[in-house]
Amino acid sequence: MFSSFRLAMTWVHTWFGLVLGFVLMVVFFFGSLSVFDREIDRWAIPETRYEPQVMPSFDQMLRPIFEQIEPDEAELEAARARVGKLEAELPLMNWSAYTTHRDPVLALYAEFAVRNNPDDAEDHVHGHVTIDPRTGARLPEDRLKIGSEFFYPMHYSLHVNWLGLGYWIVALAALVMLVALVSGVVMHKKLFREFFTFRPQTNRQRSILDLHNLTGVVALPFHFMFALTGLIIFAGIYFPVSETTLKQLAEKHERIEANAKGLAHDPAGVKAPLASVDAMVALAKSRWAARDMAGEVGFLWLNHVGDRNGTVSIYRAGSDQVALVGQAVHFEATTGRIIHEEPPPSPVASVNEFLTGLHLQHFEHWLLRWLYVFGGLSGCVCIATGLLFFVGKRKQKHAAQGIQGARWVDALAVTSVTGPVLAVLAILVANRGLPTEIGERNVFEEGAFWIAWVLAGAHAALQSRPVQQGRIAPAWRQQCHAIATLAIAAVVLNWITTGEHLGSSISRGYWPVAGFDLVLLAAAAIALTAARRLRMREKTKRRDNDDIEADMLEPAHG
Amino acid sequence: MVDAGLLMLAFLCSFTGMSWLALALKPHWVQVRDAVPHSESLVRRLRWFGATGLVLSLAVCLVADHASMAWLVWIMTLSAAALLVAMALAYAPRSLSWLAAIASGLRGSA
Repeated sequence: MFSSFRLAMTWVHTWFGLVLGFVLMVVFFFGSLSVFDREIDRWAIPETRYEPQVMPSFDQMLRPIFEQIEPDEAELEAARARVGKLEAELPLMNWSAYTTHRDPVLALYAEFAVRNNPDDAEDHVHGHVTIDPRTGARLPEDRLKIGSEFFYPMHYSLHVNWLGLGYWIVALAALVMLVALVSGVVMHKKLFREFFTFRPQTNRQRSILDLHNLTGVVALPFHFMFALTGLIIFAGIYFPVSETTLKQLAEKHERIEANAKGLAHDPAGVKAPLASVDAMVALAKSRWAARDMAGEVGFLWLNHVGDRNGTVSIYRAGSDQVALVGQAVHFEATTGRIIHEEPPPSPVASVNEFLTGLHLQHFEHWLLRWLYVFGGLSGCVCIATGLLFFVGKRKQKHAAQGIQGARWVDALAVTSVTGPVLAVLAILVANRGLPTEIGERNVFEEGAFWIAWVLAGAHAALQSRPVQQGRIAPAWRQQCHAIATLAIAAVVLNWITTGEHLGSSISRGYWPVAGFDLVLLAAAAIALTAARRLRMREKTKRRDNDDIEADMLEPAHG
Repeated sequence: MVDAGLLMLAFLCSFTGMSWLALALKPHWVQVRDAVPHSESLVRRLRWFGATGLVLSLAVCLVADHASMAWLVWIMTLSAAALLVAMALAYAPRSLSWLAAIASGLRGSA
């Protein structure tokens, strides 16, 4: 079918890259935003603009709040759909709380057993609340954590929850990313000789391809590691062997492991009081200090709450390491006696913790965070230039032959490149612009996001006709203008509604808000520059993609 | 603050290292130094300088952070430095002439 391996790789790179490039663009863009998800949360929820807090006292503050947590109404409804009538009061299974060095608010979680499901003995529902750990006050339910609860899930599930389809599309995209990287390296004839090459002064197609190669090659380790570790993190979803083929083995392993550590796998069914968890925390901290790794609590987990077999597990926050949490100390809940202190992880476990930790990044290292944003955005540039190159290469030919292909690919490229930026800005503007009194504010905010994106797509389609004549679609320029306008509007609205402008946030050294405002202004500046240059190009109407040396381009025309 | 200084130093080492590796390639040398000859021995020296810069950068990263973190920081630093060098060569190639001058033994520095 192909005369050489390289031609075959070119075909794979072009067509797989095209089909999943749109998804990858979204995954990379929202992934880059998720690096600063908690900081975006602060910007979006002004009540929480204070310094990160450590895990507060369980006995004094958390326990009474945990006791009030009810199962989420939506989850109860879903459970009723599964099993019919539910018990009047679902038995409590466990409580947990997770925090990092970037969290001023604390999310508390509870799980409740659904005991009457014959198909799943471990069926359960969740409940959660978010509190201000300084006072114990609960955060209103309708305050959307735009960074960690909206942009971040967008990154790995696209918010397509039906049948978990979103996870699978993202997985496929990650797989294609790996394929595109390998095939891209194979196609690239001068990987080392043109490692540093970018020629913006040459013709448009040449410089687009240079930028595509440059952003793909220099950040290759990042692209590769993140596509791979992303797949590893969700391996349990993609290959649910412990739920299917190997279910019995997995359950047995779970029991044996629990027994080996002396932690009860099942509740005893006998009520028992809970000893002081604060004392256990103090003991765990002294154990960490004794190992020369003094630290704070990252994860607190109470299993079989109120039962004689109850346990309390305290995990150290991994701010200073790549792994998320670790060095767990497990206690008997009724007495506060240490049952098991986890030894350093085995080599396999450390590799796993390192790979997932490097992707999930809960460590404290601001430079590395920004370098991840750089990696993610270079991925965006790589994908966007790939799409532009595809269109640029075909639009003259398609124009001459009256084929619509290049036109619609270009419209989809607009929808997936400037579209998500507009959607993000729309949710931010809605977040600051909507009155606080309206109920279910989160629903309106999410609505603004999706409507803006759909409008961006419709606009891209309507304004794509010039591509049919071999020209640049004005949609690119117009959406750049919209981006600049909305980004500035978001900064101004933040100022009006919270009184916090750049001068004040910088002078009080509050970087989550100052930094995000600066990023918005930078985005506006970049969008304006891009719009100006697009206008120049639209005017020159140069047919500039015919004069490229054949060997510089993809050999096949796909 | 010490850490921030070390990380800046690590980035500087990566940047100079990457610049020298780029200058070991003829087209980039010409961009920066025009007609100054690009001899065989100069290329070898530029490669050595470049490699040393990258290794030094790793060493500084290892001093600044725990080893597992340091490798991540180093790899990402290399990527960012390479992109910066490419942009410098594209828009302001002369800005790298001091590095070319250092490598060519400060002879005929621009």
